[in-house]
Amino acid sequence: MARFQAAHTQVLGVSIDSVFSHANWGSSLGGVSFPLLADFHPKGKMAADYGAYLDGAGISDRATVLIDSNGVVQHASSVTPAGQRDIGELLALCEALDAKSATPVEDISNPKGLPGGSVLYIKSQCGFSRKANLVASNLHASLTVKNVSDDAGAMAELKTATSKEQAPCLISGGETLQESDDIVARVVELCATPL
Amino acid sequence: MISVGSPAPEFALDDQFGRRVTLSQFRGKRHVLVLYYPLDWTPT
Repeated sequence: MARFQAAHTQVLGVSIDSVFSHANWGSSLGGVSFPLLADFHPKGKMAADYGAYLDGAGISDRATVLIDSNGVVQHASSVTPAGQRDIGELLALCEALDAKSATPVEDISNPKGLPGGSVLYIKSQCGFSRKANLVASNLHASLTVKNVSDDAGAMAELKTATSKEQAPCLISGGETLQESDDIVARVVELCATPL
Repeated sequence: MISVGSPAPEFALDDQFGRRVTLSQFRGKRHVLVLYYPLDWTPT
């Protein structure tokens, strides 16, 4: 990813799955930090606009499109749904485009990251905890995750810090966030490569 | 498949972090590599 970033290239994954499927799947792969777009409703619209939707199968093709910073298509190809992309080849394409590009580009900055010692408290069987934890996992956020459902010490710690047994809870750099939307927003702000 | 040299259609879709991502937000800033894939939870 760093080399695509150096070539001023934003990588976007796209399938017809929902954002929830993307978050869970990305995390299962060890964390996918680049955007996975949900071409979910109307289903496959973006793929269809790019001629990459397979009507009969109801899914998109394994297609690749490179767009320059001026919004013009510079490369379009498919390896078929069962095929495998050659990422090295695609990186070379992006680097070549960037080298000859007359259109302006800006350097892509790295995220700041969370303050040291950040802790995310979660509960088992809690959708809000899962949501916060998936975002942290996909962004490889540097924090310690403590599950208060199976760790009495962590529960005691949470209660001391917040006088509540409410999770998810993010304690980070002197800030305490107890709403999953706030936690997600802060982790994305500090750990995701800015769009 | 869309042809090389044609203008890329605008899109506005949400990502796994709840951010709205559009093509126009990268105009004049970044090139964009779009990787379409058939489905989550299948071999990549």
